[in-house]
Amino acid sequence: MAPVPTDTQWSVEFDTLRRENLFKNPPKDQTAYPTLAESIKPHIDSFNQLFGGSKILEEGLKDIGIKSFLDGENETPEQKKTRIAEGRRAPKRNRLNVRVTEVFLDKPTLPPTNKFSHKNRSIYPSECRERHSTYRGKLRARLEYQINNGDWMESVRELGQVPIMMRTNRCHLEKATPEDLVTHKEESEELGGYFIVNGNEKLVRMLIVGKRNYPMSIIRGSFVKRGHTYTKFGVQIRSVRPDQTSQTNVLHYLSDGNVTFRFSWRKNEFLVPVMMILKALVETNDREIFETLVGSVTSKGMKNTFVTDRVELLLRTYQAYNKHSRYDCRAHLGKCFRPVLGVPADMSDEDVGTEFLRKVVLPHLGNQNVTETQDYDKFKMIIFMIRKLYALVAGDCAPDNPDAVSNQEILLGGFLYGMILKERIEEWLRSFGPIARDWSIRNGGATFSDPSFERDFLSKIVKRSNENIGNALEYFLSTGNLVSPTGLDLQQTSGYTVIAEKINFYRFISHFRMIHRGSFFAQLKTTTVRKLLPESWGFLCPVHTPDGSPCGLLNHLAHKCLIATDNLEVSHLPKILVQLGVRAESSVATDDSVVVQLDGRIIGFCSPKQAQQIHDTLRYWKVSGTNDIPRGLEIGYVPNTNGGQYPGIYMFSQSSRMYRPVKYLANDGLDFVGPFEQPFMEIACLQSDLIAGLSTHIEYTPTNILSIVANMTPFSDYNQSPRNMYQCQMSKQTMGTPGTSIAYRTDNKLYRLQTGQTPVVRPPLYNAYGLDNFPNGMNAIVAIISYTGYDMDDAMIINKSSHERGFGHGTIYKTKVHTLSERDSRRSKSKREVTKLFGFAPGDEVRAEAKAFIDSDGLPHVGVRVKEGDKIAAYHNVRYDAASDSYVNVDGVTHFLKYKDAEAGYIESLRIMGSENGNEPAQSISVKYRIPRKPIIGDKFSSRHGQKGVCSQLWPAVDMPFSESGMQPDLIINPHAFPSRMCNKINTPLLSISPYLRRNNLANSIHPGMTIAQMIESMAGKAGALHGHPQDCTPFQFSEENTATDYFGHQLRKAGYNYYGNEPLYSGITGREFAADIYMGVVYYQRLRHMVNDKFQVRTTGPVNALTGQPVKGRAKGGGIRVGEMERDSLIAHGAAFLLQDRLMNCSDAQHAWICRDCGSFLSTQVAVSGSGASRRAAVNPGAAAAAAKAAPNQKHGSGATTVGALGGNAGIVRCRRCARSATFSDSRAEAWEDGDGLRFVGGDNVTVVAVPGVLRFLDVELAAMGIRMKFWVDN
Amino acid sequence: MSREAYQVPSMGGQSGFGNEGGFSSMAVDSPSVVYLCGECSARVPLKRGDQIRCKDCGHRVLYKERTKRMVQFEAR
Repeated sequence: MAPVPTDTQWSVEFDTLRRENLFKNPPKDQTAYPTLAESIKPHIDSFNQLFGGSKILEEGLKDIGIKSFLDGENETPEQKKTRIAEGRRAPKRNRLNVRVTEVFLDKPTLPPTNKFSHKNRSIYPSECRERHSTYRGKLRARLEYQINNGDWMESVRELGQVPIMMRTNRCHLEKATPEDLVTHKEESEELGGYFIVNGNEKLVRMLIVGKRNYPMSIIRGSFVKRGHTYTKFGVQIRSVRPDQTSQTNVLHYLSDGNVTFRFSWRKNEFLVPVMMILKALVETNDREIFETLVGSVTSKGMKNTFVTDRVELLLRTYQAYNKHSRYDCRAHLGKCFRPVLGVPADMSDEDVGTEFLRKVVLPHLGNQNVTETQDYDKFKMIIFMIRKLYALVAGDCAPDNPDAVSNQEILLGGFLYGMILKERIEEWLRSFGPIARDWSIRNGGATFSDPSFERDFLSKIVKRSNENIGNALEYFLSTGNLVSPTGLDLQQTSGYTVIAEKINFYRFISHFRMIHRGSFFAQLKTTTVRKLLPESWGFLCPVHTPDGSPCGLLNHLAHKCLIATDNLEVSHLPKILVQLGVRAESSVATDDSVVVQLDGRIIGFCSPKQAQQIHDTLRYWKVSGTNDIPRGLEIGYVPNTNGGQYPGIYMFSQSSRMYRPVKYLANDGLDFVGPFEQPFMEIACLQSDLIAGLSTHIEYTPTNILSIVANMTPFSDYNQSPRNMYQCQMSKQTMGTPGTSIAYRTDNKLYRLQTGQTPVVRPPLYNAYGLDNFPNGMNAIVAIISYTGYDMDDAMIINKSSHERGFGHGTIYKTKVHTLSERDSRRSKSKREVTKLFGFAPGDEVRAEAKAFIDSDGLPHVGVRVKEGDKIAAYHNVRYDAASDSYVNVDGVTHFLKYKDAEAGYIESLRIMGSENGNEPAQSISVKYRIPRKPIIGDKFSSRHGQKGVCSQLWPAVDMPFSESGMQPDLIINPHAFPSRMCNKINTPLLSISPYLRRNNLANSIHPGMTIAQMIESMAGKAGALHGHPQDCTPFQFSEENTATDYFGHQLRKAGYNYYGNEPLYSGITGREFAADIYMGVVYYQRLRHMVNDKFQVRTTGPVNALTGQPVKGRAKGGGIRVGEMERDSLIAHGAAFLLQDRLMNCSDAQHAWICRDCGSFLSTQVAVSGSGASRRAAVNPGAAAAAAKAAPNQKHGSGATTVGALGGNAGIVRCRRCARSATFSDSRAEAWEDGDGLRFVGGDNVTVVAVPGVLRFLDVELAAMGIRMKFWVDN
Repeated sequence: MSREAYQVPSMGGQSGFGNEGGFSSMAVDSPSVVYLCGECSARVPLKRGDQIRCKDCGHRVLYKERTKRMVQFEAR
């Protein structure tokens, strides 16, 4: 009997035994949670496409083509002169052709230098995590080269090691079953989709880019700046090659009616008259261009004088160039663009022009071996773009919104990775040119045809190029910075990758569903890009976006939204369309003929009426599966409207599109809709929304529009919309369960909730996504009562006994790498380079206190408790002794590594990391510390409704209120927030969950407060707990007629409880019943990772800024908290002068400074030097000393005298140099004083000490440097 | 420190735990300490300066065993 395949169907049930069994016996066939694996598919599939599937890299290599280099001019100027004089032709230069025909990427294996592992040479991801290394495989390329027209020779070059995405076709675990994954130390539900770089899990964020191969009409003010007569109108197309790289072409409208073609090439922008491109593409004449643009003479388009006038002008102005034939135009283009295209010098101008058209002009219609028909396609497309541009200018069509999802697609991580790889390979090939020329010069002008060239090519020329492409990709992934000479048609250079933090599973999975708009837009002052547009419906979650600066830019995919990663088979589609009546003739009048496009290629034109029919027919065929129309095809039918979007049928079959399932009403079949077609379709959300004769589709369920995380908010339709946003944020900061393979993880910081539970109230999707494997909180008995006074302002009280039973108990794991070598520890070292070893120095005496922590191997004992400053590892210096093949220590001194964190922790585990080669002694260890964190006062908790609160007391159980059955709450929260704050402006359930209001009206002040859904959850949880069954909390299932309170109230009544969820409670202190019944129920609570232990900041004295003398800022540095202007203002208002004095002076940069009372300057006072000066003589002559004291009377009285002693030092005399004059012969010796140079002065003795802030003197010095003198008047 | 250095009597090989107080010199130049292989869980004895890899399978991550000493903390 064949074993039963693992069940993948899940309901809302607890399924405790089934899950236990899955844990004990990880399935050997397939995962039990396919929906979860599905959610990260775009990442994996896009990477798989590089080498398998549509073989994107192969396409990229074809696009790179052959790079040719010519050897130098091998004749001297005199020779050249004589040759020209004799009329001989230039000697033919030799040509070197290089190309890459194939790229191989191996799975990660040990390097051949490792001779120690025989059984299994694969490197698995867990090893890379544990060794803090990179999961990477060897990249090789077949390089072929040819000299002149000789035979192609080949060499397979190693291009370094490139990082490999987990669970893709280059990973060992691609098809691993849960059981395999567990044996390889992964989660049983490990999803992959990320890279492991230096032990960190990194992923390439999905990025929004413009929709490919669709000409968008754009009105943008900045277009005017392009040059003289430029207007704000343009038509832009992002043309994508088969290798997923793109080239943006823009047509600009000039105020005189002319049109220019703009593109950017290697980060430089170029403008070309569009007519030149048209004439270069095909052999044509003005009449043909006119008629293809406007329509035949008899057509309706001829009556459109707006267009005819402009086309006439277009043709007329182009006459000035006097380039008419295709050859002329191509040659002219070639001549102009030869320097930037990097083509060999002996290529003819016409060929350069052809190359230009291939690479730059609409490459999606042909980018290699471009045929005449493909050139004609490009011609037709440009004509169409001109038409759309004129329609835009005339106001016949509206501009397309580049911020709407309908005009966007997604740049997937794998594709971006492939683009970088392709570009690196191309740059590598290009780099051969200069190196070969350099070789030629070094070898005395040797030519490429020399036999030595062939011999030296691989060993001297290729070898000198930078073959380490792997390094470039590792750099990209670890920093997220894009280093690119072309810019890859992208708007940003950094921020492409993020660490996939595993704080908890929601956080982790959200990274893979996250879509960023691009960091370029983050700096934009306008908020238009952040707006939630109706086009996003069903594709981007309206709830799940962070608050604050990334709001609306960082979105998350709706959980049912899919992303195409492969091109569909549509080669038969043009034929079908022609059969449906699409014809080639057209006119500029859109009420006469509208365009039919497939992936940016014009198939033909039809009447608007036909267009509707074609769309309906195709859609029906597509869903019913007839005529081989793929179900994923996006058939964007834009109907004719009055000044709306430019009409036509635009079909898209290629990758990177979003699409989502909806039900097609005509045959109840599954249809996929894309964002482009959706705005023009009639998709009902609920049954009640159906309009007979109009609606064609219906949503499967309204929750399809929510993201995975947003779906987990119970009854979210009852919450005020921002609460749901907050919950999405907070669930991602919860201390939860990152996984079960914690022992094998080496994250810098890992949070773990010790007592996680499955929620009683949850939607069925909770099980479908397998979230019970990663519990995120605890079911708590919550009473809503004002009881102790410690629950004001969103504070909450935890029952002390619950706390002792482990409520909310958590742990932090910190992994620290302690390494001996200062330089990069990951680089493999030779034996000679090892200078330090772990362990006590031989012969050194070791103190017992070190032994308490450190074992005889110099490493800490596993399990000991370490606190700040404890020694955790011992090492000593060594030198490699080749004679004995060992390391010898000479000095006999043991050094120690210390534990530096302020918080004590336990050593959970210790890993010694060897090198990949297996031949190095221990140079670095990875220590995992465990820091227990039981909940304490000040820790943050939240329910699942954006309701956060801080624990304010651990209240003894005896004093807790109790119910008639003896139940005590685990938590007490205050009801005071209720009445005023549950304002919910929109009552329609569907709208209430979306933050339209919030995001579009920032002035809308939102109070923290109670949420109705939490009350429903409380009731539902109570009923569920009493009956022992889970409660389905999917939103949108209750209505005004069928209320949630009634549904759960009945359940409560059946269990013998009050229908309304409240019950009599007795005071824990007096034992008397409360006057009111208390609402008590079961609510799922999350513990947030923000804990006081990570936040508290206190300081009396401590480090100060060297320049200003003020305390530094920052908790980590032991700094202070700033008393800013506003705090200062309030202290002034309270009249708290002494407090103010203390904060701003005494605890800051107060200092005693000498100042001259006469001239009011800090800077002119100086210490008079003792020794030869007054004091020694004073000892000899007491009379003179008395006179000196008299001369400076102010220094005598009161505290002045003591300060003088303190500050003036032994000399005790400070004088103002400015007020003093040089001592003359006649001056009394007693009155004179001496400076450091031995010069003697008299006077300047009216100085005193004042207490001032240090920055005041600093200011004085700064101003003095600018020639400004500050004068202070000193009273008293 | 309330912790007593406690030595399991049977574990004769590891004499490194100094409990004499004051000073104690290393008994041998480099005592070998047993580690666990991260791949095959084999016990791998290593000395100072040894190459880090499992003697059986050649794996490159070794775990240190939990200490044999009594680990006791004040529960406060």
